[in-house]
Amino acid sequence: MDPVSLELPHTLRGPQATAGYGPTTRTTQPIVTGTSVVAFKYKDGIMMAADCLASYGSLARFRNENRLMKVNETTVLGVSGDMGDFQHMKHKLEDVMTHEYDMDDGQALGTKSVYKCLSNIMYGRRTNINPLWNSFIVGGVDGGERVLGYVDLYGTTYMADSLATGFGKHLAVPILRRRVEGRADEITEEEAVAIMDDCMRVLLYRDCRAFNKLRRAKVTAQGVEISEPYSLATNWSYAESIVGYGV
Amino acid sequence: MFLTRSEYDRGVNTFSPEGRLFQVEYAIEAIKLGTTAIGIRTAEGVLLAVEKRITSPLLVADSIEKILEIDSHVACAMSGLTADSRTMIEHARVEAQNHTFSYEEPIPVESVTQAVCDLALRFGEGADGQESTMSRPFGVALLIAGVDERGPQLYHTDPSGTFLRYEAKAIGAGSEGAQSGLQEQYHRDISLADAEVLALKVLKQVMEEKLSNTNVQLAKVTSESGYQIYSKDELQAVITRM
Amino acid sequence: MDLAMQARPMEAPIEAHNHNRWSPYVDNGGTTLAIAGADYVLVASDTRQSDGYLINSRYSPKAFVLSNNAVLGTSGCSADSKRLYEVLEQRAQLYQHRHDRQISTPALAQLLSNTMYSRRMLPYYVFPVLAGIDAKGAGAAYSYDAVGNMQRVTGVCFGSASALIQPFLDNQVRFKNQRDADPNRLLTREEAFKIAVDAFTSATERDIYTGDYLEIFIVDAAGAHKEMRELKHD
Repeated sequence: MDPVSLELPHTLRGPQATAGYGPTTRTTQPIVTGTSVVAFKYKDGIMMAADCLASYGSLARFRNENRLMKVNETTVLGVSGDMGDFQHMKHKLEDVMTHEYDMDDGQALGTKSVYKCLSNIMYGRRTNINPLWNSFIVGGVDGGERVLGYVDLYGTTYMADSLATGFGKHLAVPILRRRVEGRADEITEEEAVAIMDDCMRVLLYRDCRAFNKLRRAKVTAQGVEISEPYSLATNWSYAESIVGYGV
Repeated sequence: MFLTRSEYDRGVNTFSPEGRLFQVEYAIEAIKLGTTAIGIRTAEGVLLAVEKRITSPLLVADSIEKILEIDSHVACAMSGLTADSRTMIEHARVEAQNHTFSYEEPIPVESVTQAVCDLALRFGEGADGQESTMSRPFGVALLIAGVDERGPQLYHTDPSGTFLRYEAKAIGAGSEGAQSGLQEQYHRDISLADAEVLALKVLKQVMEEKLSNTNVQLAKVTSESGYQIYSKDELQAVITRM
Repeated sequence: MDLAMQARPMEAPIEAHNHNRWSPYVDNGGTTLAIAGADYVLVASDTRQSDGYLINSRYSPKAFVLSNNAVLGTSGCSADSKRLYEVLEQRAQLYQHRHDRQISTPALAQLLSNTMYSRRMLPYYVFPVLAGIDAKGAGAAYSYDAVGNMQRVTGVCFGSASALIQPFLDNQVRFKNQRDADPNRLLTREEAFKIAVDAFTSATERDIYTGDYLEIFIVDAAGAHKEMRELKHD
């Protein structure tokens, strides 16, 4: 085989290649993974957070990865799942954005369009039984409207005022349903940061693949802002006083 | 440097400096060599009549078929290079069956006509992703008769892919005389029975041979019974009424 | 590659590594019903989208109004449902452009059957109902299985609570197992509406995948209009 055309076994394209023999040519399981993404709407726009860890199984393999991508001036993308598949998607979205730039028509691709584009790619891949092993959250402000949407490896999509992926679905969503749902218009940025930090802290305490170095993104009418990595204050001391666990 | 006409009628898809496609125009001319065909629309249905040229007493007249069924509610009469019509009729029939398969309803008459005309300009080298079936334009004109929920309709198509709706239309060698005959005698509330007689009268005027029940063919498409071709006896009955 | 294939011993199992293939389907739960009347037809769907014990969204509609005012109600895999709607709507629009008239409900029903069957080898995991007004102005509801088997019905329910609701519809809409009822009687709008609301209110109590909101579409000669009711959020 031509060495140049040799691709990595777990992400090689072309479903026809699996019909016969030779290496498996699609993602059959995630390898290097990112854990939860948490996002919700607040007064000025949307807020999203994800930590900087890319795990290799239980190994904390890459500790300075960025899982929040600025897609364009109004849209961020948060990713969990396989980081290799994410990079593939990242390149695809960059291609789309380059194409948009080349059009030079003064028309920007809105968040809803980015979300639809992403969803179509994900649904198309699952329909070819060659999924990208990710859950994505797309967030942004589209013509003054806050947009927050979820899409995963099945092409399942839904929109809500608060969303989370992975463990966040179990641990962050209940917090968000209580503190955000129905109040999205009144939450200030200050409160949003507090809610987000609380969610990420709970995840940090209970999700073994979570990491105390994270980024937070916000999209407002002013545009996209993704923070530098920061850490949360944690308190593990009270565990000592709890009787009945461990020893 | 001005190029003469002959240099622009080589390529089938080449416009002349005056903006004409000579090969298509020649194809339209070819129809004027064909036998005369007439279509008349009435409120009850559409009538089609064609002339058959019995060039030899040894020729079996029944083997000349110039009126064909497309679907049970659509038929067509033709003039020109009738062999060319095979491709178009086949396309129309497939299109009609596909419509019924997809939607479980008869195809609208205008849609059949449109489908046939879509084929008309698919000649030459063929555009990207589009298979061309012909190397030259079709040399045939059709009168498409049908009924749908918009009532009885008659369409005329020519080799340029243009289609127009008519109350009454004649095509072929005798079309000029026949068309003016129709123009004089057609009226909007003509009955189907009167249309039968009118069609044969007009045909008779432009035919070289004496009109008989072997050298003409009649067919009708009505809302009640769809497409029906006239038997020899039925035809004779109309001739007697002339 | 070809040489390697030929060299493979005949008894070697095909795709031995494929013992647990990834499934491309998820069941997102939810329930849809349709009731046809003399001059109207009703479609009711809850709006919950679930994934196992998780509620993805409390408002993710699965009944869609098409451009010819017919309503497509779905249940099963949400991704497939949404794509099926998009495909059908696109085909309805194309029909309008090609034939210069709105597609009729029976034509759309046949088209939906063909569309479902065209994915015979990887079916849309959707159990659709299509509801609209037929050529005679009567309410028409069509029910399908995942591969396009089609039937015109007067009362049907699909989805996670279908086993709870269908027997109720059989009894209350189709008058099954009723001694003195006329089995051919069609419900009035008011009756159908009440039955739809009651069916969902009760199903929500027993089926964890049904709840949050109820969307009821009523289609008649004037078009489709929507009514919303709240269901339990638990």
